[in-house]
Order: sequence, then structure tokens, then C-alpha cells
Amino acid sequence: MIGLFLLAWLAGQSTSPDAMRNMQAGLEARKQHQVETEISEFRKATELDPALADAFVNLGAAYMEKGDYGAAITPLKRALEISSDLLVAHQFLGYALLAQGYAAEAIPHLQRVAALDALGVAQIETGQLNEAVGSFNAALSKRPNDPDLQYYLGHASGLLSKNSIDTLLAMHPDSARAHQALAENYFVLRQMPQAEKEYLEALRLRPDLPGLHLELGQVYANSTQWPKAETEFRAEAKLRPGSAEAAYRLGTALLQQGKSHDALPELKRANELKPEMPETLYSLGKAASLNGDGSTAEQSWLKVVELEKDTSLAAQSHFGLAGLYRKQGKTAQAQHEMQEFQRLQSTIGPPRSE
Amino acid sequence: MVRRFTRRSLLSLAGMAAAAPIFEVKPLRGIDFILQNSPTAKKFLIETMPGGVALFDYNNDGLLDILLVNGGHITESLHVPENFDRGNPRYWNRLYRQNRDGSFSDVTQAAGLASAGNGNYGMGVAVGDYDNDGYSDLYVTSYGKNILYHNNGDGTFTDVTAKAGVAGGGWSVSAGFFDYNNDGLLDLFVTRYMEWDADHNKICGGDWHTYCPPSVFPTTTCLLYRNRGDGTFEDVSARAGFTIKKGRALGVAFADYDGDGFTDIFVSNDGMQQYLFHNNGDGTFNECALESGAALTSDGKGLSGMGTVFQDYDNDGRPDVIVTVLPRELYGLYHNDGPGAFTYQSLETGLGALTSGSSGWGVGLEDFDNDGWKDLFVAQSHVLDNVQQIDASLRYKELPLLALNHNAHFERADSGVTTPVAARGAAFGDINNDGFMDVVLTTLGGPPMLLLNRGSAGHWLSITLRGTRSNRDGYGARVRVNGQTRFATSAGSYVSANDKRLHFGLGAAEKAVVEILWPSGIKQSLNEVRADQFLEVREPEHP
Repeated sequence: MIGLFLLAWLAGQSTSPDAMRNMQAGLEARKQHQVETEISEFRKATELDPALADAFVNLGAAYMEKGDYGAAITPLKRALEISSDLLVAHQFLGYALLAQGYAAEAIPHLQRVAALDALGVAQIETGQLNEAVGSFNAALSKRPNDPDLQYYLGHASGLLSKNSIDTLLAMHPDSARAHQALAENYFVLRQMPQAEKEYLEALRLRPDLPGLHLELGQVYANSTQWPKAETEFRAEAKLRPGSAEAAYRLGTALLQQGKSHDALPELKRANELKPEMPETLYSLGKAASLNGDGSTAEQSWLKVVELEKDTSLAAQSHFGLAGLYRKQGKTAQAQHEMQEFQRLQSTIGPPRSE
Repeated sequence: MVRRFTRRSLLSLAGMAAAAPIFEVKPLRGIDFILQNSPTAKKFLIETMPGGVALFDYNNDGLLDILLVNGGHITESLHVPENFDRGNPRYWNRLYRQNRDGSFSDVTQAAGLASAGNGNYGMGVAVGDYDNDGYSDLYVTSYGKNILYHNNGDGTFTDVTAKAGVAGGGWSVSAGFFDYNNDGLLDLFVTRYMEWDADHNKICGGDWHTYCPPSVFPTTTCLLYRNRGDGTFEDVSARAGFTIKKGRALGVAFADYDGDGFTDIFVSNDGMQQYLFHNNGDGTFNECALESGAALTSDGKGLSGMGTVFQDYDNDGRPDVIVTVLPRELYGLYHNDGPGAFTYQSLETGLGALTSGSSGWGVGLEDFDNDGWKDLFVAQSHVLDNVQQIDASLRYKELPLLALNHNAHFERADSGVTTPVAARGAAFGDINNDGFMDVVLTTLGGPPMLLLNRGSAGHWLSITLRGTRSNRDGYGARVRVNGQTRFATSAGSYVSANDKRLHFGLGAAEKAVVEILWPSGIKQSLNEVRADQFLEVREPEHP
């Protein structure tokens, strides 16, 4: 359709009839996926009419279809020399230059056509990481479910983060923040002994730095060293009494050690500081149940299933409620909750062990 | 009564008990067995699963002997039909007879237990006197075919598998003798892990190359064989209700959890819910773990169930369940609340805090310090031999777990083992007949390990049941001694068989009251029983 329109438009211009024929043949070849013929015909059209910008654009497009991005650059540039407003030429040239590694040169062309995804990639290539994050965010606002865009945004953000950390490490290698940054990196790589060492050094340098105890506690929790995790979470909770997460983590560390009596007030506090967090509510229900406080357990788990419909946390809460009702002799309610648990198991799969 | 003073009791008196581990790792003199699991780069899953150990007195000389199950030879070119070179002495199962001086002699060949069949990669062992002739028989499980060895009573065994009809097939793991229909004849239950063979093996873990998790392979069913009493067994798996419950079964333990007089079955499944088969008393079983509260954790999560034990840890007279699992889970403790209900209590009992970073296999609840409370012992090691590369916080080889029971709360104690091992099977018994329970572990690629109990000040009583109307071993009897309860069985743990004698720690008590409920229904009481003795109790012929 576009081809027919193009030909009709060209027919109204002062284009040589031979060049027109070659253009038509080239478009026919494109329909047949005969890329070599396509290239040959469009090249002849450019030779017959060196001012025919569309012939150059199509020749460039044909090369790109073939995967020969290097060869596409010259005709696309020529097209823009003839007609600098040809947006499609800007777009193709931007892609071709980017594919050939000329990211900086590609950027103005991609900006011209707002090709945000490719622009973001070019900006990553040229180290313009802030700009790249902006481009991908803008692209994602239009295509929020695009996994490629999600990947590139994460990639650009990661690089941006790494740059900042590299700068930090270069300028302040002995600072607490530098050790914290290293520790976080080791934690991601699951190299817990190294992470622990760096966190401890960070804490030695800045014992009052918020978040350090929490993160070190996570290292210990990850390697199931619960008494140590408890110590760190407790230190964080003392440092930041308003932190719901610190209270929650402390509560779960206590629970893991069977100290449900001590866990209960911490989880209640976490729930007060940040209400309606399903994870907190679930653990609160568990601690309450272990303490024989059936009422709080029931309320907490009912709240979880109200907040979360089809998640594993909801399934676990139904399971907890089933056990609670069974102990209370509420057979019908216990059966209902067990059925809900089994229904969720069959739809979302069984809850997994951590 | 003269108080026994052992090294440990003297240390205790001196306030130094904490310094002395309960066990001393002792060489098994005369035993040169190496568990040949033959690990390969192909990560055939069977490689990481053997092997069993049985503590039993095959020649009735009063001394425990040891049977060790071997794996087999595996090459990277292993294909169906597999050949594990079991004719090669290196890969034989081995029977070691205990001598009067505590050493052992290899009697494998003389006993007729040498080759276990080239197509069979050894897994576990069960012990029971299935023909009530007074001599303990053996059932050896394998990937491949299982073998029933009849004890001829003259130091030899005969492979009677074909006649008995209990070869099974597929991948059998743990097994146990028990009398499910109370007819006085021991029946046989066999766990099977999954549908697997060498041609369908897979490697997981990406670049790490690890053994695959069980979820990669199809589930399978367990087997129940009914003892006809004429030397043959009938496969009643379908009729009894086992073929409709597929799983990934590794461990099995028996007890009558609801006191209805019929022995029930707990099966530990890997990577899914656990199974509790309630014995309906009419030849059928009903799987009821979920509704009984013994299937999942308190979070509704499945377990990587491996070993299991079904005994009463809190002295309330009801058998509880412990399941050993992988790290990031907690060893599952299901408290029997009665009637027919269990509660997951790994956290409350302290077990959770002791086990969240460990992998458990063989497991036993035995009163190692004779204080009247059953303690916990677990053979530990991760299933993946390269786990440390993947997760630096985990270890392939681990120390065993010894957790002493203080009023139903478990606290870690020094097992006396100082070198981590890749332990699998564990059997519990009084090897040296000193009144204190010892442990034998199997280790992958290594020799078995004897943990000899140093003893303590506590008194004890060891009971051998002699069934008359019931099965001769008395399996399934409920025995209460001074408020403690044991369910008579040699099964439990993982791929292993324990000393069938029932051990009770009596603490300071020098006398005991013994109450026995036999599988026949006969109740028997013995008063003023002297402590510190091995007591054989014969079932009355009449109620």
C-alpha cells in the first residue's frame, strides 16, 4: 500500500521513468523477499536519478533488511543530504549507525524520530546513563509490559549505580559507604563471608549509619545464623525505632529461633508503624498463634487474605487459619480454610520453602 | 543397687560434664568397608543416596553385628540396563560379626551375602524375623531389585526373594518390617523414590552441574507386602490404598499414633507433603497427613523429607514424628496432640534453631544420656557435593547433630565428631552392651563411623520382646517404662535398621514399672523391675 502510494507520489514528480521502473521493481522484490534483487533495483534507481532521496532510503532499508548495516549508512546519509526532513531516513540511519557501533553519531537521528528504545541503548553506549534511564522510562510509559525495555532500564540503572559506586570507591575507598557498597555487591553475589566482612568494617567506621545493621542482619539471616541476625536487627531497631522493617526483621529472626513470645511485640510494633503489610501480618499471626493468642492470629491472617487474594502468602494464611480453627473445634471453618488453601495450591502452586 | 560410675558420671560430679562429649568416635576394628557410591560428572541421582546400615544380632550370640549396604560401580557411560559390577568384592554389601573383644570379622561370603546382583545399586536394609523362627532376616533395598535374605540360623542366609515375591523394582530406598494386620506375621513396607533410570537422568544447576531436585522426575508409589506365613508375600499395595498416593518417598517409620491397636505408617517424601497412612484395621490405609496436620510446615510448605522417626519425644505416651530435610527448611517435628491430630512444633521445641542450615538423613530418638528423655541424633550432609560453590554458607560435609532433650526442648550438644562427613544412614543400638546407646553412621565414599557412648550416671533398662501370639520380634508393641513410651520397631531413620531391643534411660531410678501392650492386644505389666539389665519379656500365651 505504502509502495503504491509512494509510486503515485513519485509519478507526480520530475523523476525519470527508468528510475521509476527500477523503484517499482525494487518494491516488488521486497514483497517477494528477494533482497538481492531489491538492492539491485534500488541501486539502479539511485544511479538513474541521483537526486531521488526515496531511492536512497529504500536502498538503505534493503541493506538493513539484509543485515548489512555498514552498507546501509551511505545511501541513508545521501538521502538526508537530499532531504533532511525525511524522518524514516533518520530512523534507519540511527539504527544503522547504532548497529555499527557509532552510537554518538546515531543519537541525533534517533532523537529526531523519538526512537526512545534505540536512543536509550545509544545513550548507554556513550555513557549517558542518566539520559538512558530517562529514555527507557519514557519508552516504558508507552509500552509498560515490554520485557526488552524492562531489561534495558534495569541494565542502565545498574550501570548508573555501578558508576556512582565506582566513583565512591575511587574517591573515598576507606569510607563506610564504600565498604557498604562492596558488601551489597557481595551480598548480591551470595558471597556472604565477604559481605559480612565489609559490613563489619563499615560498622566499625560508622556504627550509627542507618541500614548497616539491617543489611548485615540479612546476611546472617540468609545463612541461617539467626542469633547473629537477631543481634543486628535489634541494633537497627534501636537505632531507628520508627523503622517498620527493622521491627519486622527482628520479629522474624526471633520467630525462627522459636522465641515467639519475644517476637510478638516486635511484629505488633512493625504492624503499627506500617499497617497492612501482608508479610508483617502473616508473621504476626504466626507469632500470635504460637503464643496461644488465637484472636490476634485470626485477625492477622484474615487481614492477609483480605489484602492478598491469590498469592502464596494468602495460601499460607488460609493454612494457618485452618489449623487455628481445627484446634478451636470449628470444624466447618477449618475445612473451608483448608479448601481455600488447596484451591490456591492448585492454582498458584504449593508454597515453597525458603 | 550399686550406682554405676562411668567416666562421664565422674566428670559430672566434678562439674565438668560439659567438657566431655557423650560419644567417642571409635574405630570399627575389623571393618574395612568403604561405601562405594561412585560419583560421576554425569550426576546420576542414585550416587548421592546410599547407603544403609543395620545393627542386629544375626547369630543370637548377644552381640550386635553390622550389615552395611554398598552402592555399586557407576561409569559415565551408564545406560539401561545398568550394570553396577556388584560381583566385584569392592561393591559387595558386607556383614560383620561382632567378636567378644569388640572387634568385627567379615563374614559376608560365608553368610552368603556376597553379590547382590549386577543390576542392583544398593540403598537400604530392613531387619525382622518374618518367619518367627527366632533369627533376624534381612531385606536389602536397591535401585533395581530388592533381596530378601532368610536367616538360616546357622550363620548363613538364603536369597528367597523369588519365592517370597518381594523383589519390587524401580528405585526402592527405605523399608521396614511391621505387622499391619496383627496376624502375628511381619509384613513388609518399601518406600520408592521416583521414576528414574540412567537413560532418563538429568543434570541441573546450569554451569554448576548438580544433581537434580526430585521435582524433575515423576513420582511413584510405595509397596506393601502381606506375609502369607508360608514363606511368600502378597503385593497388596493396590488393595491397601498405596497405589493411589504417588510420592517421592525416602524414609518410613511405624507407630500406632491414634491408639486404635493397628500400626500406622509415616512416609517422608522429598520436596512435597509428607504422608501419614492411617491403618483402618481392615487391610486398608487412608492417607491423612494433611487433615491430621502432619503433611506440611506451619506455613503450609512441603518438606524435603529424607529420614524420619516416629517415637514419643515428650513422654506424653503418643508417638511424634521428626523428619529430616534440607537447609533453609527446618527439620519437621510434628507433635502428636491426640486424638489423631498433629501440630508442627519445630520452632517451639528448639529444633528449628538447630537445623535451619543443615541437611539431615538418618535420624534417631534415643535416650543417649539415660536421663529419661529421648535425645535426637541426625546424620547430616548436603545432597549436592558441590553445594559450597553455589552457596558459600552451606557445606556438603557436616558434623552430625546431637540435640539433648531437656523436658521436650532440644539443645545442641557436642557429638564428639570433629571431622565433617557426608553421612547418610544411621543406626542406633547398644553395640557394647553397656546400657548406653551407640550410633553407627555410613558416609558416602568413606568408612562407617562408630560413635561409642561414653556412658553417664543414669540407670537404664533394655527390653527384648519375645512375641508368642504377636510377631516374635514384638514389632508394634507399645512399651511404657516409668512414664516413657517406645513403639517397638527396628525401622525409622534413613535406609537403616536399628537394634530391636528397646532402650530406656531411667535417670536416678533403680526400679522400673514396665507396661506392654502387645500387637495381639494382650496387656502385660511388670513391677519392681531392676534397672541396668537386659530383660527379655515373653508375651503371655493368654490374655
